[in-house]
Order: sequence, then C-alpha cells, then structure tokens
Amino acid sequence: MKLRNVPVVSYVVEAGADDRVFDSLLLIGPLIIGLVIVLDRSLVTESLAAAYIAAFVLYTLYRAVRE
Amino acid sequence: MNGAVETVGRDLGRILEALGGLLLVSLVVPVIWGEYFALPALLVSALVPLGLGRLLYRRFQDAEAPGRFHGMIVAASGWFSVGIFGSLPFLLIAWSVQVGVPGFSTPAQTATLAAFTEPLNAIFESMSGFTGTGLTMTDNEEVLPRTLQWWRTFSEWVGGVGVIVLTTAILSRPGSGSLTLYESEARSKKIHPSIVSTVRTIWWIFILFTFISILALWLAGMPIWGAINHGMTGLATGGFSITDNSIATYDSVAIDFVLIPIMLLGSIAFPVHYLILQGDLRNFYSDLQTRWVFGYMGVGSALLWAFLYFAGPYETPFAALRYGLFQFVSAATCTGFQTAVDATNVALGRWPSYAQLTVTFGMFVGGAAGSTAGGIKLIRGLTLAKGIRHQIADVFYPESAVRRLEINGRRLNEEEASREFMEAAIIVVLWITFLVVGTFVLLLTLPSGEYSLANVVFEVASAQGNVGLSSGITGPESLPTVGKIAFLFHMWIGRLEIIPVLVMLRTIFKRGGLYQ
Repeated sequence: MKLRNVPVVSYVVEAGADDRVFDSLLLIGPLIIGLVIVLDRSLVTESLAAAYIAAFVLYTLYRAVRE
Repeated sequence: MNGAVETVGRDLGRILEALGGLLLVSLVVPVIWGEYFALPALLVSALVPLGLGRLLYRRFQDAEAPGRFHGMIVAASGWFSVGIFGSLPFLLIAWSVQVGVPGFSTPAQTATLAAFTEPLNAIFESMSGFTGTGLTMTDNEEVLPRTLQWWRTFSEWVGGVGVIVLTTAILSRPGSGSLTLYESEARSKKIHPSIVSTVRTIWWIFILFTFISILALWLAGMPIWGAINHGMTGLATGGFSITDNSIATYDSVAIDFVLIPIMLLGSIAFPVHYLILQGDLRNFYSDLQTRWVFGYMGVGSALLWAFLYFAGPYETPFAALRYGLFQFVSAATCTGFQTAVDATNVALGRWPSYAQLTVTFGMFVGGAAGSTAGGIKLIRGLTLAKGIRHQIADVFYPESAVRRLEINGRRLNEEEASREFMEAAIIVVLWITFLVVGTFVLLLTLPSGEYSLANVVFEVASAQGNVGLSSGITGPESLPTVGKIAFLFHMWIGRLEIIPVLVMLRTIFKRGGLYQ
C-alpha cells in the first residue's frame, strides 16, 4: 500500500496544495503540535517546531528564486 | 417567489448541517480535558442544528441553483442562524453547571459562566465569534471550561475562513460588485476556475498558516493550549482570548512581536497569499492592497507611537512602540487582541482621546478585501480616494478628453470607474451612517457621564469593524440590553459588508419574497 493511498494522506494530496512540500507540511503540522502536547517543551520539540517554520519560509523563498 | 425560498432553505440547511458537524467534532475537547459534564450539552447543541439543517435540506433538495441574490440572502441568513444556533453550547453548558447533570460531576459555577445562562449573552458571544469580532460577555475567560474556550476559538476560526470564501468565491459574481474587488486582488486571475477548488485552496492556505502561527507562538513562550487558541484567533483576526487580560496576561515582548505578523497574515487578501506561495513575492509590493496594509499600518503605528510617547502615558520610547505598534496593528487588522490593559500598564480606554481616535481610524479602514479583516476594507478606501482625486482633476481637462482611472494596475473607463466609485461610496456612507446611529443608541442607553464620546465611538466602531477592542463598555453588566442587541446588529452587518443584510431585510419586510 502506497503512502498516498492512506485515507488522510490521499485526501490532503487530492484537496491540498498540489505541491509535495506544502502537502507534507499540511500532514506533518498536526503531528508536531501533537508531539508538543504530549512531550511538552524540550530541545527535540523546539527543534522540530523551528524546523517546520524554517522549512515553510525557505521553501517559499526557493520558489520565488526559481520563478 | 419563483423558488427562492426553496433555494435559500436548501443552502441554509447545508450551513446548519455544517454547524452541527463542527459541534460534533468539538466533542473531542471535553473528552480530552475530562469535562464530561459538557458532553450532553454539546451533543444536544450539535443535534439541534444538524436535525433542522437535515430537514431543510431534504425538504428543498431539488431547489434551483442559487443566483447572486440568493447568495446574498443565504450569506446574511446563514451568518445570523449560525450566530443563534452557535450560542447553544454557551447556554446549555452554563445551565448544565448551574443545575447539575445527573450522572456527571460538575464544577462550581462561576460568575463568568453564569452570565451565559442569559440567552442574550450566549447569542452575543456566539455572534461575536462567528463574525470574528471578539467582544465578549465574559469577565474572566480563564475560568471558562476548556470546551467553551475551544468553541469560542473554533467559531472565530471557521467564521474567518467563511468570510474569505464569501468575498472571494461566493459574492464575486459578475455584477455583484465584489467581482471587481476580487479582480483587483488577484490580478484578474481567479485562484482556480471553480468555486469548489477556490474554497479548497483557501482552506489549505488557512490551515497551513494556522499550524505555523501555533508553533511560532509556542516557540515564543506561550503554553501550547494558549498557542493553539491564540494562533487560530490571531490568524482569523478574531481576537478571542483564553486569558483574563487578553495577550497582556503573558506580558511578553516576544509574544507581542510574534503576534504582529500573524495578525498581518490574516489581513492580507488570500488570493494574494496564493500568488506569494506560488513564488511570486512581488505581490508584497505590486498588489495595491498588500502594499497599503504595510504602508498605512506603518504610518498609523508611527503616529500612535508619537502620541503615546510625546503626549501620552508611556515614559520610554520602547514601551510606546511596543504598545502603540501592537494596538494599531491589532485594530487595523481587526483582530482585537489587547496588550494595553490596566493590570499591566495603561488601559486603552484611558489613553488620550486622540490616541483612541487614531486606533478607531484603523478599525474603520480595516485590512484587505478577501482577507479575514473587517472595516470598510483598504480597496474601498483607496478607490474612494483615487476616485475623488480623479473627479476633481476632471475640471482641468477639456470635455472631449478621454480619461481613465487607474486602480491596482487596471485602467477603468468612465463607466467602470463610476461603478466602482459608487460601490465604494455606498459602503462607506452606510458604514458611517450605522456608526453614527449606533453611537446615538449607546449614548442614550449608557449611564450618563460614565463614558466619553471617544469611548462610545471607539466601542461601536470596534463592534461594526469586527475588531473586538474595548474601551470598557462591553460586558454582561456594563452593556445595557438595548446596547447588546444593537451590537449584535453591528457585528452582523460589519461581517457581511452591510449590503447582503440590507438585501435580506428588504426582501423580508418590503417585498415578502424574491422576484415578485
């Protein structure tokens, strides 16, 4: 079974951004927030949250440069 | 009536079904937080609109497809109905705690929650949420059950995305006037060719921004429950808080400065966000509204800073900058988060009148059309300003001269310019008329001498601009019943940009039906 055939994933791929990185961020976002709720503030969760925001900003800039 | 009731009834049914669905999803919250006493109330709150909506939909499912007038009436009646039925969780949970729920242990009643045993207070809170206003009937949000904290947040978040969909997809039909706004925002390119895909696009951008807002606030030091709630209400430019003193509770410079870009995100047109996410960063300055979002908020904040530092209550330039910048952005984006409160510094209501009126001007203008912000919208203000300049300059040209009005890169001929100028003028005149009427109503009903004229104008502009900042008038005890009812109307017309509400009221009271 391919990852894109998993119900939630397939829905996001179908109705989402038509872009792998933005679709991935849409899927990973709730997982990171869930981890923060469960694990609370730690180096790991803070790094993950910072990486998430950095990925969004850098990818948007990358698309702008590529345009 | 030509089937209009059927069409409106069918679409209203779908909206009520959706509301029921949102309430069913929210059942997770009392389970997670162990607030089991809220489950029966929330379940009933979900089943009532779900059942009524299902009934309406089944009864009228074969109705004709909606036209633009139907769209306006569905929007106006839908927002009103959602405001009414969305009040059920407040009312029923408050009464659950008041009288107890057999088989469940309930917490002690608080004065804050007890306020919602009054149906008018519950409807006020719900309407404030779904219109993204943020004025509240609570004294202390911290003591509310987590379930109600969530429902307040969720209502603003859904209302926020709802208004983007309304202005960029539903009302932007040829001839409705909104299309011209839409064209100006998105470079005459629709996000996608169909409404369904437009709505999907708005949703994924909104959800992605929500995750980023939540994580940014958490990284700035806000606890995760606060970050979830304030991230959602900040992006939706709603302004409901889960703390007693709004954002001032955290008294954190980092949180204040992280919230500013979040509120700005919400006040930029979402079609422009789409283009920016496609890599076209030029829209930050090439799009007229986006350029002015930064321009006028920069100028307004600088002016407010000067008032607060040189003639106002703050002693250091940084304190004036921190509170002035935050409060102007909060007002002009129509969010309504407050950092200037008595508990930590000088409350907004006690700022000098000219500082309060500067904030009021921000609430009046608002953010970009096609965003979650309220007010008259930047594009209307700019159309009006450019149109007036165009009309005055006309005197200096010969009658045979062919002149065009240029707005956001579009060159409008006489007829187009006249239509857009007229639409902007009508909205602005109506906005000011209702502001003045509301001010009179409040002055007549409030205890004399307790609040200044600046306080009253500020509060009405806040309600009508869907902002939520308060000079201290709004509250379960301090706002008289007439004032609460008037504010319900102000919030409703403000969210729908007045015209759809007037169309609906005219249909009901004057014609008794559509297309007679």
